[in-house]
Amino acid sequence: MITAKSGFNTLVRSSPYLMMALLVLPVIGGLIAVVLPAFGWFPVLGHTQFNISGFVDLWHTPGIGYMALLSVSTSFISTLLAFVITILILASYFTSPWLGYIQRLLGPILVIPHAAAAIAIGFLITPSGMFSRLVSPWLSGWDTPPDWLFPHDAMGLSIILGLTLKELPFLLLMALSVLAQPDLGHTLRAQHRVALSLGYCPMTAFFKVVLPSLYPFLRLPILAVLAYASASVEIPLILGPNSPPTLAVAIMQWFHDVDLSLRIKASAGAIVQIALTLLLLLGWWLAEKLIKTLSQSMLVNGKREYAGAIMQNITHVITMLMLTVIGLALLGMVLWSFAGFWAYPDLLPNTFVTQHWQSALQQMRTPLVDTLLIGVCATGLAVVLTLLTLEAEQHTNKTVSRLSSVIIYLPLLIPSIAFLFGLVWVLEQINSHHTFINVVLAHLLFVLPYVFLSLASSFRRLDPRFSYVAASLGASQAKIFWQIKLPMLLAPIFIAAALGLAISFSQYLPTLLAGGGRINTITTEAVSLANGASRRTSAVYALVQMLLPALGFLLAWALPKMLLTHRE
Amino acid sequence: MQTHEQTTAASSNTSSLVIEQLTLKRQQQLLLSLNETIVGGDILTIMGPSGSGKSTLLNWLTGMLPKGFSAKGNVYLNGQLITDTASHMRRIGLIYQDPLLFPHLTVAGNISFAMPAGVKAQRQADISQALSQVGLAGLEHRSPQSLSGGQQARVALLRVLLSQPKAILLDEPFSKLDSQLRQETRQLVFEQIRQHKLPAIMVTHDQSDADAAQGKIISLF
Repeated sequence: MITAKSGFNTLVRSSPYLMMALLVLPVIGGLIAVVLPAFGWFPVLGHTQFNISGFVDLWHTPGIGYMALLSVSTSFISTLLAFVITILILASYFTSPWLGYIQRLLGPILVIPHAAAAIAIGFLITPSGMFSRLVSPWLSGWDTPPDWLFPHDAMGLSIILGLTLKELPFLLLMALSVLAQPDLGHTLRAQHRVALSLGYCPMTAFFKVVLPSLYPFLRLPILAVLAYASASVEIPLILGPNSPPTLAVAIMQWFHDVDLSLRIKASAGAIVQIALTLLLLLGWWLAEKLIKTLSQSMLVNGKREYAGAIMQNITHVITMLMLTVIGLALLGMVLWSFAGFWAYPDLLPNTFVTQHWQSALQQMRTPLVDTLLIGVCATGLAVVLTLLTLEAEQHTNKTVSRLSSVIIYLPLLIPSIAFLFGLVWVLEQINSHHTFINVVLAHLLFVLPYVFLSLASSFRRLDPRFSYVAASLGASQAKIFWQIKLPMLLAPIFIAAALGLAISFSQYLPTLLAGGGRINTITTEAVSLANGASRRTSAVYALVQMLLPALGFLLAWALPKMLLTHRE
Repeated sequence: MQTHEQTTAASSNTSSLVIEQLTLKRQQQLLLSLNETIVGGDILTIMGPSGSGKSTLLNWLTGMLPKGFSAKGNVYLNGQLITDTASHMRRIGLIYQDPLLFPHLTVAGNISFAMPAGVKAQRQADISQALSQVGLAGLEHRSPQSLSGGQQARVALLRVLLSQPKAILLDEPFSKLDSQLRQETRQLVFEQIRQHKLPAIMVTHDQSDADAAQGKIISLF
């Protein structure tokens, strides 16, 4: 559309650049501020010459190989498991109403913060947790909690469990959203029917016909999940071994050490972390190519059935198991939060009390207010920037370039542990001591991509003829934006805002670092309490962490309905 | 193609699709009731406006009745009751208005996908022969998207025929082709159905399709 010059249009045209700057500058700045110390340039300690002593130190750290291995193996195995189970569920329930039920059951898991999920799973598998109570004493014969290391086992099995359960709903919902695209979903389902009519059993039909077309849409989400898992901090911190921990957790500890010279080693570690993540992504990509080449001839060999019935049964079992684990973990947490005395191996607490809730809620007043304030500010900024950028897209009549769409996801793809420390240093250098603003800006890096992802499709799908009609009636671009597009997009905007809030609420590392320890949110409190003394207090914090985003989504669902009925 | 002719020849005497006392309902509302026998080589044409239950009938025949619909009655294929047989065990081929070729496979791959498992060289020879019979010789390794609409329709037809179906259902099969192409493709499809002595049901809006089928016509209004 040809547009006139106006203040609104100038604002709209410049917003994509502002958005890119807000995403690129902190990440690039943060990376530079990590690369320099990694190669020895650290003026605060008088190091102004480049060398590789940081890497040498890192190399001589006891257990460094194991740390790296733990990071690589837990992230790779959990991503692979999540992917395989996602595909099995899709293949088994592709034509069944169960797919919808599973989606509805798993959807809420998506917005549970990693820290809260880790705490819940920890409660389930800890020696006196729900799992061991469930099998004791009738099956196991245990009268006292068993002597196992879960959830801090040295092999990282607990981390794998936590990551898998957290990644699976994400991948499944991404796949289902691809199938929900009108054209593509319809074609894939029709092609599946064609394969059935050609005598393929449903499972084989899915693998040979649907998966090859579906996978390209899942590649980016999978790589994002893999990158995130390889450098995540919350889950390994709560569910992982302590000595040695995963590389990301070790880096965080070195950065936080009072001994500033450890910063050089930590920076070198951050570089190694990026390399490991890239290596993992490359490895996944190569494995994908290899499997594609090897399976090419199987696709057309005419074989219709590969033990589909057995696979289907295995999938039923896995699905039920998974839903049970999630259900038990949540139930256990609720029980702990109300538990008075709870003898082992009783399945239920002997007494129920509300005193943990009362005292914890009193304690968390300040963190709660900070959590909400930061969330509202970061989400508000993100929604405004996203809307203006999408509006600019329609003014200039072209979607954001490929480069820009990669940049939007940059903060999600680059391990945050690698650039956040640098970012903190940059913020210190430009003398930004407003911790609150720093935290909001750091959150924005992670909130913005999700808000954009969530809003873009609805905004782009809006029938352009509404704008044409309005323009032909003499409405300006600003008027069309405010009075046509925004009201029509009310529901998706609220959903995007709820998602943004959920992402902000769940941030651990950005809050911890940008806040310099002076700003506490529910999430940072929950993580620091997770390995502490009181399981009951910890349960309350984790539950509040889950309730906050749920509340956000409830409001996002109810408010547009209320506003719209009001109008009628 | 040889193996194919042998199997259809062996069953040609009994080749039939029987729909017995069918009533199709959407929720409680009756959509259609039908009692028909189609012998091999015949094409039953069903005409009617959208929403009259034409496509639902095909969905029922393939065992893919969507939620919200219910059906009573039986269907026999070559004398065998298949009312409750799983979709993929029925061996009823489908031809839609969209060719729905699999984009991740080549032309030969699409056909090969449909053929019964067997010796690779023999399968490839069969594919090449079939392609040249419909004027598509040498296009084995092309991607389906690079073909014209008429070529895609012919590949889709070969894909169904070489899967050795026992019956064929056509769902508005030619409605996306322009009139010249439509006539040619239609002639080819009908010829093949008759030559293979397959019972067929065609659902269409178009009177010229119905006339060309030269079979019984049922109008749903």
